Amino acid sequence: MSNLILLNPEIILACAGLLILLAGAFIGESRAKLLFHLGTISAAAVLGMVITQAVMAAYGMGTMWVLDPAAQLFKFVILVATVFTLLLSVNYSAIQARHVGTYTALVLWASCGMMFLSGAMDFIYLLIALELISISCFILTGFEQKNPRSAEGAIKYFLMGGLSTAVTIYGISLFYGATGTTNLFNYVSSVDLHYNDPAYIMGMLFILVGFGFKISMVPFHFWAPDAYEGAPTPITAYLSVASKLAALGAMMRIFASVVPHYAISSTMLIAALAALTMTLGNLTALFQTNIKRLLAYSSIAQAGYMLIGLVVADPLGRESVLFYALAYLVTNMGAFAVAMVVAGKTGSYELEAYDGLAKRSLGLSIVMVMFLLSLAGIPPLVGFIGKFYLFASAVNSHTFLWLAIVGVVNSVISVYYYMNIARRMFFVESKDVSAVETDLYTTGVIFITSAATLLMGILPQTFMRIVKDCIGFHS
Amino acid sequence: MSLLSLIVVIPLIGALVILAIPGTRTKLIQGVALVTSAACLFFTGYLYAAFDKAVVTMQFVEKFSWIPAFNINYYVGVDGLSVALVTLTGLLTMLAIVYSFNITLRIKEFFFWFLLLEVGMLGVFISLDFFLFYVFWELTLVPMYFLIGVWGGPKKEYAAIKFFLYTLFGSLLMLLGILALYFNSTPHTFDMLELINQARLLPLTMQIWIFLALYVGFAIKIPAFPFHTWLPLAHVEAPTGVSVILAGVLLKMGTYGIMRVSFPALPLATKWFMPFLIIIAVINIVYGAFCAMAQKDLKKMVAYSSVNHMGYCLLGMTAMSSIGFNGAVLQMITHGLITGSLFFLVGVIYDRAHTRDIDAFGGLAARFPVYAGLMIIQVMASLGLPGLAGFVGEFLCFLGAFEAWPYYVAVGTIGILVTAAFFLRMIEKVFLGPFNEKWAGLKDINFREMVAIVPLVVLTIIIGVWPKVCLDLIDPTITYMVGMLR
Repeated sequence: MSNLILLNPEIILACAGLLILLAGAFIGESRAKLLFHLGTISAAAVLGMVITQAVMAAYGMGTMWVLDPAAQLFKFVILVATVFTLLLSVNYSAIQARHVGTYTALVLWASCGMMFLSGAMDFIYLLIALELISISCFILTGFEQKNPRSAEGAIKYFLMGGLSTAVTIYGISLFYGATGTTNLFNYVSSVDLHYNDPAYIMGMLFILVGFGFKISMVPFHFWAPDAYEGAPTPITAYLSVASKLAALGAMMRIFASVVPHYAISSTMLIAALAALTMTLGNLTALFQTNIKRLLAYSSIAQAGYMLIGLVVADPLGRESVLFYALAYLVTNMGAFAVAMVVAGKTGSYELEAYDGLAKRSLGLSIVMVMFLLSLAGIPPLVGFIGKFYLFASAVNSHTFLWLAIVGVVNSVISVYYYMNIARRMFFVESKDVSAVETDLYTTGVIFITSAATLLMGILPQTFMRIVKDCIGFHS
Repeated sequence: MSLLSLIVVIPLIGALVILAIPGTRTKLIQGVALVTSAACLFFTGYLYAAFDKAVVTMQFVEKFSWIPAFNINYYVGVDGLSVALVTLTGLLTMLAIVYSFNITLRIKEFFFWFLLLEVGMLGVFISLDFFLFYVFWELTLVPMYFLIGVWGGPKKEYAAIKFFLYTLFGSLLMLLGILALYFNSTPHTFDMLELINQARLLPLTMQIWIFLALYVGFAIKIPAFPFHTWLPLAHVEAPTGVSVILAGVLLKMGTYGIMRVSFPALPLATKWFMPFLIIIAVINIVYGAFCAMAQKDLKKMVAYSSVNHMGYCLLGMTAMSSIGFNGAVLQMITHGLITGSLFFLVGVIYDRAHTRDIDAFGGLAARFPVYAGLMIIQVMASLGLPGLAGFVGEFLCFLGAFEAWPYYVAVGTIGILVTAAFFLRMIEKVFLGPFNEKWAGLKDINFREMVAIVPLVVLTIIIGVWPKVCLDLIDPTITYMVGMLR
């Protein structure tokens, strides 16, 4: 019954990571970029495997893991994000050539951990997956050795991450003490026995803290802006998209399906945290002057929006989270790609770098406006459909209409700082008017993400159908 | 492709073509913008001619499945309520584009956003699917933001973001209202006509909440007191062509939305809210007029007179009778023509004198007879002189509302009086009296400006003398709508 075959994609990806690490030792510095390509190809190949699995409906469960449509969707999201991240890294100058092998391997392993996470049905297995992600990401965050901010971000991320892991482990031990198992398959069969056991509820809440840290839910979000600012930009994009969505996927599995939050009377708690996450993220983003920090706070707020669907937790709510995950994947990736290009040209992540960008590169500016508007939820872009979905689920539930209203107010607030970047690009003049060029890899990423942002907004039907098919969590 | 889709697609194609032309080819860009908007106007004109006046239901209907997961359709059609507004949009956009040929800054972007704006506006008036309506509604937002923010006056950035945030807040609340309507229908649908049939059966409390959510969205656009504070700023800061569109078309989206959806779909709530609506209408009329009176800036004065005139429109709507509704729709059209042309005319003088201070001028009538003539006709139309278009709309609004709310209407007439006062005072200060020699070097209105303004003046006179050209179109639909409301 171990069904190890279901984990083939993860195993292959981990092996590819090892091989690339090994190859890094033998490939000269001048050819180091080859390793990025190898990494991209292996991630893309595994992506192909995951899609094939999904098409063949190869579902099943192992002893500690499960492969269901929801897990496959999140694996898809993670791998797409991985491919984009590696493509963006190719010409990112702050990564030293002799470390390219390590860097690529770490990205692949982190993705591997995220894939484990998305199918986890046992707390021990889940913990290992979380650690694999965390440790890889700590190192990746500190990868810009010459940049003190990078080290600062990594240390903060590490300390906060270590603490949250400790809390999670404590939660798991409480859970074990109360239920006698860490396995969620066994747990399901004896579910009614534990509903009012305080140790069990306590344990679940501690586990929630661990996830809250990963998805940067307020009040566990403090690491995010510093880590995001310090990390190499492709890694920032990776953290904000892949890591966040993977954790959100596992959180959905546990808190909206296996141990529904309403069963442990913590619905209102999560709802309140969702509202706080949106509001605090947006309010703080208003005052940022650095694009990476701004996008960090914006991505905190975005996590808050996604929690609406998790709070609602009915099929429509779950669908909306999955759809928003897809929307957020392409939009946020694109925004970071543009931020990287602009910083590559101007050498600065401050918002002043965007002054007069429309004159320097109209195409890039229009695309950036598209990403920002999509994050703000303006039609006809995919972010709007995502928000529409989330708000629809909240309105449909009646009980959480107030969350939709909080979401609406927050959307209006967020427009102010998103449009502030648009304002700088279009309304403000800059001294430097030299054109901004993009290299082939970044252009590719920006093109794909912007096309997806527009097309998924105009023709969302296909993705809605996929998402509808994917809400079937195994339970 | 059938007519309505064609009308929406033409400006979209034009916008994309402009995006592909290098920014240095300014003549070509202007030409493409002109041809596109002219083609669009031609087809809206054809729509106007081909529209069957005897039919009260939707015409030129098209329906395709768009997002089946939410039962969302691409569903468009026009009836007497919308057809004239579509034509008005086509006309004003083309004239504004002609006028905007004097723009020299970043021409390519200007016309790109302008045509995109036209897509949104036309889409709003023809959508019969509420989701589609919302998408088009929001589509007007972003181009307007850039049009004000890049090409506007000194406080353009503040005006642009204020406009954006205000409208977005309203429209997101509206979205919640739309969702509430959707989830209360079986089977779930965004089809406006179907929603109208189903939502009228909802309990009162539910209707009130939905009405409120929709109303905030629409009222901000109108703008109805107390949501009007974005308007003077946006109108004054926007470049002339954009002010014309803002006043001429965008404001009508609010009143159109209320008449299209809120009233017929939520009759119980409409009754419940009526006392508030009439008060808001009267405040808009009187307060708008007094604010306009206090202005020294010509453009601001016209902007506040818009608040006042949209008050008439609201007043007509509160009548809940076919006379009042006819008046309200006609007022939308005539306000578009008259205030649109007034913004053009203010733009003409500002382009020359670089000031809009009423006190800075004097005796212009003697030196600039054509300009003064056009201005005086339009001002007279705006203050409701019989024989010009403004009078017919206002009269019908007051007539309709008087039946239902005699006392409020009596208060409302103060607004007419004040409007007459400030407009006449403006004419006196700007056009009469001793000539201010400072402006001796100025030239009278030129050909480009005439092309933009004269059609509007002619239409103002035609509708004033022979309102049937408009009312014939509007009346059957309105009578049918009122019959449903009762």
